[in-house]
Amino acid sequence: MTAAQIFAVIIFVGMFIMIVLDKIERHYVTLGSGILTLVVVFGICMHNGTAIMDTLAFKNFATKDFWYQVTESESKGINWATIIFIAGMMVMVEGMAKAGFFRWLCMKIAYLVKCKTIPIFITFMVMSAVLSMFIDSITVIMFLAAVTIELASLLKFNPVPMILSEIFCANLGGSATMCGDPPNIIVGTSLGFSFFDFLTNTGLCAGICLVVSVLFLYFAFRKELACNGSDPVDMSKFPKPSEAITNKKDFIISSIIFACAVILLVTHATTHLTVATIGLFIAAITLIAFGKHALELLKKVDYKTLIFFIGLFIVVSGLEETGILKLIANFIGDISGGNIKLMIAIILWVSAIASAFVDNIPFAATMVPIIQSLAETSGVPISTLAWSLAIGTDIGGSATPIGASANVVGTSVAQKNGYPIGWGRYCKKIAPATVIVLAISTVYLFVRYL
Amino acid sequence: MSQVIISVGREFGSGGKNIAEQLARRFNIPIYDRHLITEIANKTGLTPEEIEKYNEKPKNHLLSRRVNGYSNSIEDNIAEMQFNFIREKAASGESFVVVGRCSETKLRDFKCLVSLFILGDMDEKIKRVMNIYELSEDKAKAFIDKKDRKRKRYHNYHCDGHWGDSRLYDLSINSSRLGIDRTVDLLEEYIKSRMTED
Repeated sequence: MTAAQIFAVIIFVGMFIMIVLDKIERHYVTLGSGILTLVVVFGICMHNGTAIMDTLAFKNFATKDFWYQVTESESKGINWATIIFIAGMMVMVEGMAKAGFFRWLCMKIAYLVKCKTIPIFITFMVMSAVLSMFIDSITVIMFLAAVTIELASLLKFNPVPMILSEIFCANLGGSATMCGDPPNIIVGTSLGFSFFDFLTNTGLCAGICLVVSVLFLYFAFRKELACNGSDPVDMSKFPKPSEAITNKKDFIISSIIFACAVILLVTHATTHLTVATIGLFIAAITLIAFGKHALELLKKVDYKTLIFFIGLFIVVSGLEETGILKLIANFIGDISGGNIKLMIAIILWVSAIASAFVDNIPFAATMVPIIQSLAETSGVPISTLAWSLAIGTDIGGSATPIGASANVVGTSVAQKNGYPIGWGRYCKKIAPATVIVLAISTVYLFVRYL
Repeated sequence: MSQVIISVGREFGSGGKNIAEQLARRFNIPIYDRHLITEIANKTGLTPEEIEKYNEKPKNHLLSRRVNGYSNSIEDNIAEMQFNFIREKAASGESFVVVGRCSETKLRDFKCLVSLFILGDMDEKIKRVMNIYELSEDKAKAFIDKKDRKRKRYHNYHCDGHWGDSRLYDLSINSSRLGIDRTVDLLEEYIKSRMTED
């Protein structure tokens, strides 16, 4: 191993340990590690200015492909398209939240099913999955869990099974589209896949798994939910959906912007607008529409996450440029002995197990160059490996309370309202559900792509 | 100063809790220690036993994760609830004594805060713990070390400063020097002097 390789690995492992230990905020960790990669790995060890410039990837902004892409292309270094898209969606989601969109939607659905526990349980699971296809799962769960607790206190049911099921379905829904979960955005923008590519591949798998999951979770939790659902529901005591809307004009505008975002994402393979363009456009129209409140929305954007991504991409570039990821790809190729089934199973299950315990974003960012290299050497289509990686990282995160951001937010909201959810409570039903969905996904990948 | 908040940090076995109780009686103000657990239990629907299980305990880093200020750790969330509770009480203008809960840091923005740290000589602490918990000398020493390690980890995770560092408190005092009652006398005088400041 060269000195550059050794330092790249030390920085990467150190970054991961620091993220897990949670002593320093994770954006400082990745940014610090990123700077170390640029200085020590690329600068001192490799004396390679080109690698630094390629990693920073500022020149991408000046290329037409970055904004308008007719042919599929792969990107290296900092994935600015991912960062701009996520930032744009953050602005849009802040606008929607400010207008009361999410609370209104939850209340509306609860009203439509006449505030009955089991129908709420099922519709909220489906809503969680569908919303997470377009909006980050943290926001979805933040609102859904809060409304679930409110409804639980009015209807006198235990909200924990419902919150756990919503978390599970949010992660499942996130796997269905390119913008549903950060690993998918990274996979999509790095390998040149469209929203529609995801929808017709991982989306179909997520759809099948959602049906099975709803059934499984219903049978797993029905006793806990049904214990007090027999009393007649007095709808007059419930807060009206319209009360959730803070400003009607903002509500209509944010709903239209959300619809625009969905249309632009669904059609971006036809319009050739990249996710970077869509993110920028959505952010711009949201800020224009919210006028004097634009600054307030901008202040609420989670810049820490964006910085986290920038640092992370630099560290992963360090591993890529020094050839470490190629070595890992060769190792996977060797142990699978060229057996495609084994290769898919390894990527899916290793990604899932890793994502159950560590942040799936750095994991996916690291795995993308590995599967690229693996596809080149083994001849397996990159798309097959990409779907295995996306499904593995997205679904695997459901297995434990720390596997995905939605799990942390959902359990935290429940705990703050007096419903503690420890590892045992969480894993008892959700870990088996995760294993079932992963097993279905494995069969799906084998049947469809082999 | 019409409002006074007395924060009492303490080493295990130093008699800090006893001192805090006596101060609360002398100033005729409520004390939040176990009472804090009952208040949180009433507010959330959790049982006091459930809260006690996670009270002033550091979280397990390997089994916890924090996302945008949210944490899956029950210890973290119970701690946050307690911090919010004492902040709300302080903001409402109430005078009270609070034991532990990083209160010297969490309430440092309140001018009426008097922060104290009670320490003690190890042999005195061992005697007290042997007496209260009916333990042998070795077990009492191990128990003290274990409890203090937990308090230290809990404090240092939730605060910038270090647990027991005199720079963090208005007054650090060794209760073994004067004994509990005379330490309380001294602290009472100190607090009264502070109260007449404004």
